[in-house]
Amino acid sequence: MVDLSVDLAGLRLRNPLLSASGTFGHGLEMGGFVAPEALGAWVSKTVTLEPRHGNPAPRIAETEAGFLNSIGLENRGVEHYEREVLPTLVGADTLIVTNIGGKQLEDFAAMAERLGERPEIHAFEVNLSCPNVQGAKLQYSTDPDLAERTIASVRTKTSKPIFAKLSPNVARIGEIAKAVEAGGADGITAVNTLLGMSVDWRSRRPGLALVQGGYSGTGIKPVALRCAWECARSVSIPIIGCGGIATADDVLEFLVAGCTAVQVGTASFSDPGLLAGLPAQLEALLESAGIPRLSDLIGTIRDGREAASPSASPKPATQVARS
Amino acid sequence: MPAPPPDAQTQLAELISVEPCGTDGVLLRLRPEAPVTQDGAPLAPNRFFMLRREDGLSPAIPRPFSIYREVPTEGDGPADLVFLVKVIGPGTRALAESAPGTFLRLIGPLGLGWPDLTTPGDPWVFLAGGIGSAPFFMAVESLTRAGDAAEEAGTEPPAAPYLLYGAATAGLVYDVEEFAELDCSLHVATDDGSLGFRGNVLQLLDRLIADGLVPERLRIAACGPLPMLRAAQTWAAARDLECWASLEELMGCGVGICNGCVVETVPGSELGSWPNVKACVEGPAFRCDTVVL
Repeated sequence: MVDLSVDLAGLRLRNPLLSASGTFGHGLEMGGFVAPEALGAWVSKTVTLEPRHGNPAPRIAETEAGFLNSIGLENRGVEHYEREVLPTLVGADTLIVTNIGGKQLEDFAAMAERLGERPEIHAFEVNLSCPNVQGAKLQYSTDPDLAERTIASVRTKTSKPIFAKLSPNVARIGEIAKAVEAGGADGITAVNTLLGMSVDWRSRRPGLALVQGGYSGTGIKPVALRCAWECARSVSIPIIGCGGIATADDVLEFLVAGCTAVQVGTASFSDPGLLAGLPAQLEALLESAGIPRLSDLIGTIRDGREAASPSASPKPATQVARS
Repeated sequence: MPAPPPDAQTQLAELISVEPCGTDGVLLRLRPEAPVTQDGAPLAPNRFFMLRREDGLSPAIPRPFSIYREVPTEGDGPADLVFLVKVIGPGTRALAESAPGTFLRLIGPLGLGWPDLTTPGDPWVFLAGGIGSAPFFMAVESLTRAGDAAEEAGTEPPAAPYLLYGAATAGLVYDVEEFAELDCSLHVATDDGSLGFRGNVLQLLDRLIADGLVPERLRIAACGPLPMLRAAQTWAAARDLECWASLEELMGCGVGICNGCVVETVPGSELGSWPNVKACVEGPAFRCDTVVL
């Protein structure tokens, strides 16, 4: 029997699988496809102080190896979340992570103050990185100082773990990771969507009404993996990998690169029941590799140079002819 | 908080056959592993499924298709599901080029289908535009079934429906021979006159009313290209008639989660409490006085 459990910022997760914010509803709406207890934790779609109507349509566009979205954090606001969603989470056999967003710095703290000690919520994910609001400026996830202050403001309002969700749209994500750690984050979700766009040259129209959007899906996996790896090297708090994960192999790759847990997002659009099958697939992979505890894999990535790897047989250096 | 329909499932379905239909369409016949309704009940017309190949040849996002027909199988197995698919882009092409024996991801049944067509009232006129005919086959069947049940119970049967089936040209009037077998009054229109009436379905409707072949008091359910739906909306509003339009929005998930398939609502209307509705879980059919087309 393989042990899939992981310790994430003091939370005991039965497995490292989380749903990615925005792809699995606000509560347990997807419970008909994936049993609540199948996941380590459920992450809500972003909740904001005030209701948000979202962006104009078209809001989604398909592209290579994934798709683009420009939803614009449509949600009914925190009052609705407290009244209609939280009561449905009472007694759920899983952990609940509420993703909170805001327009201005004070909004994040106000959200945390309002929800900070609600017993239905086990942790918060702070959405610093939605590309579909504020004209894709991404200020909270590209300015280390603002990122730190935002997390610090949330920190003062809750005793529960806080995960900062970062954007891949930066040159040095490690600096942002250090900033949110300094601000008091207990973990980092790496990463949100990549900025992207599509265009139909015949009609001259962009695929999305607002032109730019967030690119997600298997196409972003190498970018997300590198970001998660850089975060893991930069901070001592745990990393939740996110971006293009669709298979049990993908999950283990992120763990080896330094992640403690992962989120699955766009792959649930291809098959809403996909996450339900992943725990058994993880077990099978680990069993066949003779690894009894999944957590033993975390951060075990080796030096990339073959000769430096203790188990690899050394090879003579290849002569590269230059002309 | 719209959620996936309680009866929606995700499963694999074996592709039994792919038959060409019209100039650019195919009929996909699928055999689901588990029944999609309980106790052999027929699917409600105009519910839909998301379909996708899982061998890497389909795009990431599955495609929504209305159920076209259900075909009983021999033995106790669930009925086969038939989808009428117009090949438009990479998603539909991947499906159409699948070999029998391929297993496809089948997510559904989704959406609310048509409103209850068997409620007492004026007869239904179904306006089908090209591939928009797909959700009407079982709509007609459901009325026939309701009529038979009423006859048996000695109650008033619903009026037989009219099906006005339009397209640009004859090759896009898919499976018309099968529609002709249904218990409805079928009239065909093509823009180029290659089959039936020359003109569009609303011009045809005007003609049929003028000729006394369709009554003036009627209810409309329409599915087809957006200009046709808008024309139907305007036509019905001018006559104060009930009109429903089934929409083909881009969908990311089909189960009410991604917020991609939004349709603007009419403020103050029945749906006006929020500026949009999701075509997947709150539709795909909407009353035309509640949404902006």
